[in-house]
This record gives sequence, C-alpha cells and structure tokens, in this order.
Amino acid sequence: MIVANQLHKSFKRLGASRRAPKSEQYIAAVKSVSFSALDGCITGLLGPNGAGKSTTLRMLATLIKPESGNAMIDGHDVATQVLQVRKHLGFMPHNAGIYPRLTARENIHYYARLCGLTRKQSQQRTGELIEQLTMLKFADRRATGFSQGQKTKVALARALVHRPQTLMLDEPTNGLDVMATRGLREIIRQLASEGHCILFSSHIMQEVAALCDHIAIISDGTVVMEDSLNEILKRTGQNDLEDAFVQAAQSLNHGEDE
Amino acid sequence: MNLFIVMYKEIVDNLRDRQTVFYALLFGPVLLPLLIGGSLVASFKQMTIDYDAVTTLSVVNAEKAPTLMEFLYSNNIDTIAAPDDVEKSVRSGESLVVLEISDDYGEALRNGSPAPLTLHVNNADKDSAKATRRINAVLNVYEQTLSSLRLQHRGIDPTTFDTLNIIEHDVSNEGANGQLLASILPFLFIMSMVMGGFYLAIDTTAGERERQSLEPLLSLPLSRTSVVMGKYAATVCFVLLSSALTALSIYILFRIFPLEIMGGQVRFDGPSVARAFFLVSPLILLISAMLISVSAITRSTKQAQTYLGVLMVIPMAPFFLLQYLNIRSSLTSMSLPMLSQYQLLENTVLGDAIPWLHVALSVAGTLVATAILLVLAARLYQREKLLD
Repeated sequence: MIVANQLHKSFKRLGASRRAPKSEQYIAAVKSVSFSALDGCITGLLGPNGAGKSTTLRMLATLIKPESGNAMIDGHDVATQVLQVRKHLGFMPHNAGIYPRLTARENIHYYARLCGLTRKQSQQRTGELIEQLTMLKFADRRATGFSQGQKTKVALARALVHRPQTLMLDEPTNGLDVMATRGLREIIRQLASEGHCILFSSHIMQEVAALCDHIAIISDGTVVMEDSLNEILKRTGQNDLEDAFVQAAQSLNHGEDE
Repeated sequence: MNLFIVMYKEIVDNLRDRQTVFYALLFGPVLLPLLIGGSLVASFKQMTIDYDAVTTLSVVNAEKAPTLMEFLYSNNIDTIAAPDDVEKSVRSGESLVVLEISDDYGEALRNGSPAPLTLHVNNADKDSAKATRRINAVLNVYEQTLSSLRLQHRGIDPTTFDTLNIIEHDVSNEGANGQLLASILPFLFIMSMVMGGFYLAIDTTAGERERQSLEPLLSLPLSRTSVVMGKYAATVCFVLLSSALTALSIYILFRIFPLEIMGGQVRFDGPSVARAFFLVSPLILLISAMLISVSAITRSTKQAQTYLGVLMVIPMAPFFLLQYLNIRSSLTSMSLPMLSQYQLLENTVLGDAIPWLHVALSVAGTLVATAILLVLAARLYQREKLLD
C-alpha cells in the first residue's frame, strides 16, 4: 500500500545564476502530490510528459528525498526507513536498464542475490519468475539483442524477485507492441488479484482506462483528481477519460489564475 | 557480502567485453612491454659491438698487407676479396665496409711515412656505421702497435707521447643505459595498471548510468556504499591481474634479450622483478580508486574516457619529471604516491639498497591517497544528481 501526502521536490535550474532569487534558481518538479494506492488494486498515475510522474516514483522508491511532505510504503516512511521501504517495494523504472552482456537469467539472479537470497534460493526464485513470465525461450540468451518486450519482462522479473508487496511500474508499456502490451496487462492483473498493490504510471489515457481500478491525475506537479474511472467521469461530466483529463488539468490552471 | 556479489557480477560482465579484456590482458601486459622494452633493447643491441663475434671484411689488394690481414684475422675479422665495383657494393649494402689498401702501402711503411688505407663506408646505414666503428677500433690498435715499434726502433720510449693519462672512475652503480631502462619499468607497470582498469571502471560507473541500469540497482535493499565498493573491488581485480601479467612479461622479455649488452648492472631477474612488483603494488589500490572516483563524476562513457584520458598524465608525470630533473630520493619524495614508486623501482632494478623507511613511507602515502579517493567516490554515489 502506498500513501503519499503532499510530496514536494524541486531541482536546481541548470545554468541559473546564483544571484537570482531562490524562486528562479529552483524549479519545482513536484509541487504537491497526494494520493493512495491500495493492496489488490491497480492504481494509475496519469499525466502528460513532464508532469512529475517519474520524480514522484523516484521519491517513493527512496532514490531521492522529498523536500516536504511524506509518503508511506506498507507503513514505512520513505524518508527515514529506507531499507524497509526497499524491501517491500519492487520498482521498474521507465527504461528497462538490464545488462546487455548478461543473460536474462543472470540479470534476474544478480538482483535476487543483492536482495539477500542465497545462491540456491536465487536460482529457484529466478526459475519461478522465468516460468511465470513465460521467458523460457530466451532465458539463457544474452540480453543484447532482446526486443523491447523481452527487456521489459526481464526488468519486471527483477522488480519482483524479492516478492515485494508493492510494485511500481514507470511507463512499462513504452515501446511495446500490441501483443506484448496485452501480455503485460495480463501479468499486472494477475499480480493485483494475488493481493499486490500496483502503481502504474502512464501518459496514455486508453491504457489507464483499460487497466486501472483507481486513477490519480497529475498535472504540472500536482495531483488534481483521484478516484475510480467512473467517479472521475461523473465528477467532470465527461464521457471519456481524455476529456475528463483536460477538464481536470484546466481546473487547476483556472484555480491558479484566480 | 553485497560487495562481493557486485564485484563478481562486474567481473563476469566485463570479461565478456572484448575491449575491456583486450586492454587488461593484452595491451598493458604484452603489447606495451614488447613495444617499449623491445625497441629499447633492440637499439642498445645496435649500438653495442661484440668484438668476440666473427665477422667478414671485404678488402681490396689484400695481398699487399699480409701482416695487417693476419692482425685482422686474430681479431676475429675474416677477410674476403672485395667485389669489383666497391662503391656500388657499399651503397647497396651488399658489403658493409670495404678496406682498400693502396698500391704504395708497403713502400710507405718501409719508408716510415704514413701508410694510406681507405675505408669505404656508408654512414647513412646503421649496420655499416657499426661495422666501421669496429674496424676503426681494430685498426687503431694496429696503428698504436706500429707507432710504438717505430719509436722503439729509433730509441724513443713510446710513453713519451702519452702526456696525459685520463682515468674515468664512474661511481654510479649503473651506466646511463641502465638509468633509462630502469625508469621504463615503473612506467610499464603504471601504464598497464591504468589501462587494465580503465574500461571496467568506466563501464561499471558511467556505463551503468548511460544504460540507465543504475536506477533499478539503487532501489534495491542495499547501501550505495556497498555498490561503489563492489565496483571498486572489481576494478582492483582487473588492475591486479593486468599488473601481475606485466611483471611476468617483463621477466620473460629480459630472459629472451640478454642484458649483458647494457653493461650488465641492470637487474631483471626473478627476485628483482618480484620485488619491483611488491613495491609498486600499493598503486593497484590507488589507481583503481582514481579510476572509480573520476568516472563516478561522469555521465557517459564518452565523457569518462575524456576525463580519464586527461588523468592519464598523472601516472606519466613522474617519468618525465625524472627525465628532466634529477630528483634524489628523499623523505618528501617517498611520501608522494607514483613518484616514490618510480624511485623505488629504479633503485631496485639498479641494485641499490632501499631503506625500509622509504618503503613504509611510500606505502603509507599511497594508502592515504587511496582512502581519500574512496571516501570521495562513496560521497559521489550519495548525490541525488547521480540519477540525472
């Protein structure tokens, strides 16, 4: 389970002069992000490019520290209980980032060992995941020539290697073809039905609409609306998510203008 | 524990990379010693004359100077008849040197006037010039013999004409040749260390950032310090392997090329090379730390190669510094990493005694520098900017 409460993070602007006022030296990537993602549920973090999705996920994954606000992963604070959070969290960043000179099996095995599994346990767990994600055909080939779909599977297996309760996927369907996307959705649904909490970030409306039980719309570093698909449509008075999204984002800008 | 998992993975991963393996196992340990050491030995060989080796000399009019021919023969020079066109033969390199005895040679000797001999040489050709030096040296001895015979014949002590007796007493243990050769040894070791760890360090830090595999790695339940130290340990292994192989190839190289031709004072026997390796070994830790911390700053492999290329000047600096300035071993120079190893290795190869204090200072100085760089590398890995 993920509970984020008014997360805020800003970065130093490249090439900013030191004499400039503080507000101009720094740029807020995430202004105020609050949402929750429940166990057994697929939660979508929906927002355009540059809305702050990746930064939010990085804060939740303890890679960077929030400036203000806090977040809990399965009851552990991301700012203070770093190792506990990491043990409960599987994170798949938006680029698979697998090692091209290692085989799929070695890629997964390496992560299993780093998560504290013994050699034997690692081999067993790696075998399980290869079977579960139907990777047998390419498990012992080096990753250099893997298709995007194969790379994503390896990365997903690595994220799952320590049986985390919570799983975060940053734009996992990027670059996948239709069949691979369908396969991945199947896997995600399966994991959710097993009781995992899944946070799924995307900028593609249809995908979020098709897959997620719960949606948080993020725009310009702020979560503007958080609800189920039906509720969001009802609240905005729109028929599809795209229109609802535009409406929600506009209401934010509107609010700022006033 | 995690440190060893990271180390093991990086080693396996990089052993599959041809570029890394080439530089670690072939470039530093085999190619560099062969190119530098080999060419050096070859040039010494060219400069040195072996008076015991039998050689042949083409002579025109050999029958006019039978005593000289006998003298040449007793100095390991066999004479043969010269070809018809002497000039062409020497120019083409067919004959290295041709000695021409003029028709009035015998007459001039009998009259007590200078007897004319002509040497046809080609000074543009190294082999010809070398053969000329040898012939000249032998002829000089013959001339001196004749001169003293002439003087004695006239009742004059030949030593009358030796006004000065200059004795050069070289107090150094080594000749100039040995000095140069001795400074090559640390150079070879340090270069092979840098090249050995170069690509692995870049691949494991900057390469990992570039492939974007760092982000998932750092989100695992392990400390960033153990990640850096694992990568450092993998680099140390490669650098160690590379420098050990270099020691082996230096030993073999100087087994093949005899060192007597360089004056014989330079030692490249088993114990000396082993001692040199032991003295230079702290640099394995330092150079690995240097490679890791510098490539930890960089974002891409290309940037890392540029930075480390510039950094390469540091290991080479003492080599050139010592060529220009004659820096004596002192307590200060011994506490400076790199410089101290250069001096210690030179002393080892030249057979000079090395005080234990110098060894201790060199090791301590190098370890302190290593520790500073490792702390820096660990700090660099704590930055949030690492993931940009």
